[in-house]
Amino acid sequence: MIERVDSGIRGLDTIMYGGFLRGAVTILEGEPGTGKTTVGLQFLAEGAIRSGEAGIFITFEQLPEQIYADAASFGWDLRALETRNLIRIVSMEPDVLFEQMRQPGGLFERLTNQLNCRRIVIDSISLFRVSADPEQARASVYTIRNILRKLNLTSLLIREYSGYESQYAPFENNVCDGIIRLSLQPHMEKYRKRTIEVLKMRGTRIMEGEHHFTFTREGIHVIPALSMAEEKMISATADMLTTGIEGLDELLGGGLPRGSVFMIDTNSKANHRYLVMSMFVERLKAGDHTVSLMTSSSTIQGMTEISNLFGVSLEDAIRSKQSFFIEHYRKPVPEGFETSILNVGGLEGEEYEAAFEEWFRPIFLHGKEKGKGWFFYFDVNTVVSERGKAFVLRFYADIAVKCRMAGITVVAHANFTELGAETSSFLERSSDGVIRTWVDGKYQYLQVTKSPTGRMSAPRIIENVDARPFIRLV
Amino acid sequence: MNETQDDMSLQLECTLFFERNPYALETVRGLAKKLGRSELALEAVVERMSRLLILERIGEGERAIYTYHAPAVRQELDLS
Repeated sequence: MIERVDSGIRGLDTIMYGGFLRGAVTILEGEPGTGKTTVGLQFLAEGAIRSGEAGIFITFEQLPEQIYADAASFGWDLRALETRNLIRIVSMEPDVLFEQMRQPGGLFERLTNQLNCRRIVIDSISLFRVSADPEQARASVYTIRNILRKLNLTSLLIREYSGYESQYAPFENNVCDGIIRLSLQPHMEKYRKRTIEVLKMRGTRIMEGEHHFTFTREGIHVIPALSMAEEKMISATADMLTTGIEGLDELLGGGLPRGSVFMIDTNSKANHRYLVMSMFVERLKAGDHTVSLMTSSSTIQGMTEISNLFGVSLEDAIRSKQSFFIEHYRKPVPEGFETSILNVGGLEGEEYEAAFEEWFRPIFLHGKEKGKGWFFYFDVNTVVSERGKAFVLRFYADIAVKCRMAGITVVAHANFTELGAETSSFLERSSDGVIRTWVDGKYQYLQVTKSPTGRMSAPRIIENVDARPFIRLV
Repeated sequence: MNETQDDMSLQLECTLFFERNPYALETVRGLAKKLGRSELALEAVVERMSRLLILERIGEGERAIYTYHAPAVRQELDLS
């Protein structure tokens, strides 16, 4: 397993799904004033303070005394770390570094050995371009990369970047394992925003796109884009239940947290059947119990057929009292299944709620303590058409709270557009997560717009595939 | 100002530079750029400082690298 190295920069490890790979050589580029040196210093200082990993900052142009002063403004006492042999701020000329790196037993080797150095920052490799022709500069950077890799040093090579370079890729980009770009861009006419983007990182997934960052008293803080405050109570303690759809599990950070309430919002054209059925059969396969609130068009027979496609026998699950149903309509019921169905059709007002309450009470009270996992599929559209919006708002919130407390995982389905903004907003607030799927043109899309882990995703296209679970996110 | 006083002044400047940047690894050329002094004037000064063991010289000729021999400090005293 490849070892990860904490970047020391809050939020950056999230974007890189766990930090730098040990020994990776990464270009850190940006225009002047974008924060490159601070990122480099934070990488070394936090590595020394938090992980006890020694690091060397090599500067060609700045004086170390200026770097000590800059670092002190973020609370990093580099001189003290130097006394403890955890940091060295070394000034030298680029050609001297290159010469000493190549020399067996040279100053570079002596320095890295003396400290047991694990991290290094070179500020900046652009100077190799200035002092040599392009071929020679390329060879120099290539050699440096090889030496850094040989010594297994996790390295940041700072590179000055200017807009005109965007027309062609600089050679350093091909030579190194990763590229991180810092930018300062116009924001809402009057303001400027600082962004960080991981353009390339070999061997690890990355959260694509630009992410905002700010300078705080403790250094740089990156705020991963499309993320909201994480619901620690759920995400820190829950098991993650697979949805059966690999791409969706990834978007959700592992799956549905057990005991969470998720809403699937579809527009009228979007097909959500395989999405829901995949989650449903995964629960049956895991031995959990299921309760499904049926729509006007769904039948046990139909669900059985789809479950068979997924390789799971719903009939067996019903007979063994693993699967139950709530029905609002009179539909033919296969023989022997009657006791697994709660029929609430024709019940009025308090009777309706009382029937639910009575039926669910043992699950709410004892489901968790008996170690049984329960999964509840709730079709909001059906309850709205039978009981009205006002009822649903109260009922959904009540069910959501009780299920959460009992550790029951809920997946509800609604059409937010049909329900209107106010009702949808309420349902969204009452849910821990929202998965939206819609058809636009010739494609169906899916996006996680709210999740307990704080993750929001970019929209993904749903592609139909022949094998289970019959859909794939692209 | 005579030559000796100039040299002493430059030696003080060099000492202060290395005191403030104790892990600098500089050639005469690099030091000249950082201090804004001529290489010619610095050559004799850094050579004398290495003889006095204030600096350590690594290598020979114009590629020689000078690094600081920080004086051993037993205890910091505030004399103000």
